Amino acid sequence: MKKVIMGNHAVSWGAQLSRVEVISAYPITPQTQVVEELSEMCAQGTLAARFIPVESEHSAMAACIGASAAGVRTFTATSSQGLALMHELLHWASLGRHPIVMANINRALGPGWNIWTDQNDSLSQRDTGWMQFYCENNQEVLDTTIQAFKLAERVDLPAMIILDAFFLSHTSEPVDIPSAETVDSFLPQREAKVKLDVSDPRAFNGLVRPDSYTEMRKDQHDAMERALSALEEVEVEWEQLTGRRYGAVEAYRADDAELLLVTSGTITSTARHVVNECRDRGDAIGLVKMKAFRPFPTAEIRKVLKGVKRVAVLDRNISPGHGGIFAEEIRAALYDVPLDDRPTIFGYVLGLGGRDVTPPVIEEIITEARAAKGPKREDLWVGVTS
Amino acid sequence: MSQKRHSASPDGEPPVVAMSDTSTLENKTGSWKYIRPIYRDQVAPCNATCPVGIDIEGFMNFLREREREEACKLVLRENPIPAITGRVCDHPCEKACHRRRLDQGLAVHAVERMMGDLILADLPDILLVTRPEKIGVVGSGPAGLACAYHLARLGFEVTILEAAAEAGGMLRLGIPEFRLPRRVLDRQIEWLKALGIEFRLNARIGDTVPWDDLGEFDAVFVATGAHRGRGMGIEGETGPGFRSGLEFLKEVNAGGRPDVGKQVVVVGGGNTAIDCARTALRLGADALVLYRRTRNEMPAIAQEVDEAEREGVRFTFLAAPVAVNRAEQVLESIECVRMELGPPDESGRRRPVPLEDDRFTLQADTVLTAIGEVAEFDYLPDDVEADGASVVVTLLGGTSSTVVFAGGDMVEQPRSVAYALGSGKRAAIGIDDYFWNRGEEEPEAADWDSFRFADGNLSMARWYGDDPIPRSAPNNRVVRPEDVNLNHFVPVPRHEDRELSGEASAAGFDEVNAGVAEQDAMDEANRCFNCGVCNGCELCMLFCPDVAITRGKNGERFHVDMSYCKGCGVCAEECPRGAIVMTREGL
Amino acid sequence: MSQTMIGEQIPQEELVTSGHLACPGCAGAMAMRMVLKGLGPQTIVVMPACCWTIIAGPWPQSSLKVPLYHTAFETAGAVASGVKAALEVRGDSETTVMAWAGDGGTFDIGLQALSGAAERNEDFLYCCYDNEAYMNTGIQRSSSTPAGAWTTTTPSNHPEAHPKKDILAILAAHRIPYAATASVAFPVDLVEKVQKAKAIRGTRFLHILAPCPPGWKYSDESTVEMARMAVHNRTFPLVEVEDGRRWRFTVDHPGGSVEPYLRKQGRFRHLTDEDIAAVQAEVDDRWALFERRVKVGT
Repeated sequence: MKKVIMGNHAVSWGAQLSRVEVISAYPITPQTQVVEELSEMCAQGTLAARFIPVESEHSAMAACIGASAAGVRTFTATSSQGLALMHELLHWASLGRHPIVMANINRALGPGWNIWTDQNDSLSQRDTGWMQFYCENNQEVLDTTIQAFKLAERVDLPAMIILDAFFLSHTSEPVDIPSAETVDSFLPQREAKVKLDVSDPRAFNGLVRPDSYTEMRKDQHDAMERALSALEEVEVEWEQLTGRRYGAVEAYRADDAELLLVTSGTITSTARHVVNECRDRGDAIGLVKMKAFRPFPTAEIRKVLKGVKRVAVLDRNISPGHGGIFAEEIRAALYDVPLDDRPTIFGYVLGLGGRDVTPPVIEEIITEARAAKGPKREDLWVGVTS
Repeated sequence: MSQKRHSASPDGEPPVVAMSDTSTLENKTGSWKYIRPIYRDQVAPCNATCPVGIDIEGFMNFLREREREEACKLVLRENPIPAITGRVCDHPCEKACHRRRLDQGLAVHAVERMMGDLILADLPDILLVTRPEKIGVVGSGPAGLACAYHLARLGFEVTILEAAAEAGGMLRLGIPEFRLPRRVLDRQIEWLKALGIEFRLNARIGDTVPWDDLGEFDAVFVATGAHRGRGMGIEGETGPGFRSGLEFLKEVNAGGRPDVGKQVVVVGGGNTAIDCARTALRLGADALVLYRRTRNEMPAIAQEVDEAEREGVRFTFLAAPVAVNRAEQVLESIECVRMELGPPDESGRRRPVPLEDDRFTLQADTVLTAIGEVAEFDYLPDDVEADGASVVVTLLGGTSSTVVFAGGDMVEQPRSVAYALGSGKRAAIGIDDYFWNRGEEEPEAADWDSFRFADGNLSMARWYGDDPIPRSAPNNRVVRPEDVNLNHFVPVPRHEDRELSGEASAAGFDEVNAGVAEQDAMDEANRCFNCGVCNGCELCMLFCPDVAITRGKNGERFHVDMSYCKGCGVCAEECPRGAIVMTREGL
Repeated sequence: MSQTMIGEQIPQEELVTSGHLACPGCAGAMAMRMVLKGLGPQTIVVMPACCWTIIAGPWPQSSLKVPLYHTAFETAGAVASGVKAALEVRGDSETTVMAWAGDGGTFDIGLQALSGAAERNEDFLYCCYDNEAYMNTGIQRSSSTPAGAWTTTTPSNHPEAHPKKDILAILAAHRIPYAATASVAFPVDLVEKVQKAKAIRGTRFLHILAPCPPGWKYSDESTVEMARMAVHNRTFPLVEVEDGRRWRFTVDHPGGSVEPYLRKQGRFRHLTDEDIAAVQAEVDDRWALFERRVKVGT
């Protein structure tokens, strides 16, 4: 069934189809429609879940942790400041190995107040042990929401579905909504491997001493690595049911490209359009879309970027004092590639706080990256007059 | 830890999280302690105070546990006549009771009386004679009855020789019917006879029975009491209108109804004095008690004094007679001198000092003197040593004559039913000990300490060595007030005796005090703190922060797991009854 | 019955194991034992950071025989909400969820989550065992620390200046169905309150005073005595509040001077007679407030 829905509702529909059992959330622009829709579904009985309208994002995540620890499928959504407030518990959820799924609507952090998109909120949570999937369109949002539960419950790690504020969250697009039967066959009710259970009483998260803590961390890390192959299997299964597949990394018209753009989120769609025009002109420009940021698809990135001369990474984020975060991660991933095959990385920082990244902006970047001998700096700020 | 426990989790396996798979029992936290608790029973103050040596705390606990039969058995270990002592004993135990610090002392007498009446409801089986020796007991007052009873239980063949026509001694002669109904006393004697004790009545030693006739017995216990009234030492006290109070009581108790005139003055402050006044009242006279000290110093049982007052007996304190006025050989009045209390005398009471100039006159048709009695024992052979008014005895009632034992009012001890019973019991132990260890010296008094509750009277249960109460490492010390944790008790009013109104009681010789109802007596037993003896209340178990205390096995009430007890001492501090101590022992 | 025979009044079931890591004489350990006796084995415990984080034993141990979820300091109210929601959604309406937090996790850092849960009337029992400071971290003041007390962050020349926060009134103001104080010195009262709370649906709050030998500086054996004195002298009255309106005293509070209670504790050693008079005035004032509440409701 096709419906024209906004990105936030794609999240809600994905959660509903996943038959989440406990939802706990706190409102923040631009996430609100996600939970409004879900609370409506709960109220109407179209979703048999308990909705806990908590008093903060911190408590939202805490309630999800409690519910997940008790063995049920759990969901929340937030954005920006809310995600930052959750920070402590993002660690708790992951190291406690709770397969919570959360939608984060990318929104810039204050101050000053800014409700528009950029990725600094989610990327700030890089080391919390959450899987992070950046979505390009509403269909992907819905599909990824459903896939995230399957993946999270398989590797016992929480997952974050990330979409751009307004560009996706409030933008309506046609979305093919799979049937409940389809999703049910893909994602049966959660059966927790361990949980709070009075018939098998155990304590969770007690004091772990130096002689044991590292092993727990290693298992968390291993699970994250396993998640890459698990994601592939999940996608194969989803493709069989729906015909749709995204990949941790998508290479688009990348063959023999002299310059590859690397994007994530909605910039990808704009870049696709520009790449199409370039290719139509005969310019060997290609695109690499990064969907998975954690786990980081190191092998795939190496595979698609190895031997390419120039790579322009478009970062809608900034790690102050270092540079665009995707660019830095990609640089690190390519360090082991022999020098001859190692591309020159142009790291562009752009679109912060919701500033539009239009086709001309990307065209300009292409022009500059093709012409320059090399990047003047690690961080190339776009559209900023210094 | 534990790479072993942490095998990395492949798909489908549980993740490696900090999930418990064992308890904290592997932490032997008991190693932290430097002191440890020991369940160490102590002695309840009532037990230590009882002149009879009854395990009062023990029977109260049996009653609390609804073990009525066991409670009665425990009383009968030490006291043959609880129905009587429940009525007439002055119960020093009640004054020692720690419960007085919370509300009122336990009404031990009421509970004892209830049990005594229960016991008398059925006659007992005859006791088997298991010993070859025959014992003669001279006198059937409380001392004689106690000695005979305990000897019979020890397996001796016992014969009581009683000078009077009926058994009971002072219980029958000296205590008025309205305090001790004859049916109770008669039933008690019947009960003792049923055990197999032989009573020979009208057998007055040195008179109808020569002393040498006692040669048929292997040992003799004499307890013939103190019967001759003491004089006041004033001129005219032997003339008309003057009587010994005890003689007066004996006459009335035997059914006589002498004419005492309209106004009776009783001189004295003991139970005999009060009994005389109340009896005189019942004969239609006005009765006035003249006592040289104040009410506080009166040796009489306070409850009896209250009853007397309620019945209409009047009291004049701080005064004593000094002269007698007669006209034509008929008593008219006595002249009295007022007293004041000076410094304490050897009894600890303040000595009365006469105010010579302050005199007054009391009209009197009869004056009854009740200032004490003197023992008479001329019938004893010369080798039984006496010290003035008393026969000299050892702790176990032994006299200077090998097989002659003595007790009751004729030996030096407070004159009460309870002390008499206690001395009879000690002599029974003395006789038993004598026949077990014939020819050996009687051990020193201190050697008997393990047979007493603290410094109380000897305990038959301990003499037999079959105390039915399991005791944990008892230290035979009386529970101190600070050992009792009052916080674990709630105030419950004492069950008071049901008594006739003053008017009704003064009208005749019916028993004034009806005791308490059976259920009330059971409830009263619940008021007992069980001082010093663990009664399994489980507060120690509950308060132990370390779950180290569990119900014990094999007779042990509680078990402290020293592997986990951290030695905090909360159990000992909170024990309501001082039955746990903290010690370094064993560490 | 004039004496306490515990076996007849409190369930025998023991859901705490020996070998836990509480200090000797810990009232927090006693309190957990008593509360779990009241709740029984069909209970899930949610525990934020507090002394009990340690007492429960290091991984892979647990000193509880019921499931236990250790969670972050400020989250007890929210995590308990989540656990209960999960049980409900899977059809388990019988299991009791019990949050077990110290005073820091309740009065201070956890108050927001607790308030949120209480306002939503989440169906769990929240127990605060209150030792009146951050004891696990080494005796730092909390908003539960009473005026005049020494702690390592309120040294004796500059002791705690503010009276203890009235947490019960705060919870009662949420109009939750049941809120009460309890004391380890009154175990029957405590367990009865737990059992009463267990039978009620919605947010239930139990505030248990938990004297702490190392933190209050008194000798180990006096823990129950301290708890009892606090009730008797009205420092910590035992009350319950139904629906935030009906206040009731549940034991007698004879009153009397707070001085013996304060003098027994090293943390008050520096107090002058005037200081003690001030504490007394504060206690009297609060008692009057309690009496008004009992009389007229809130």
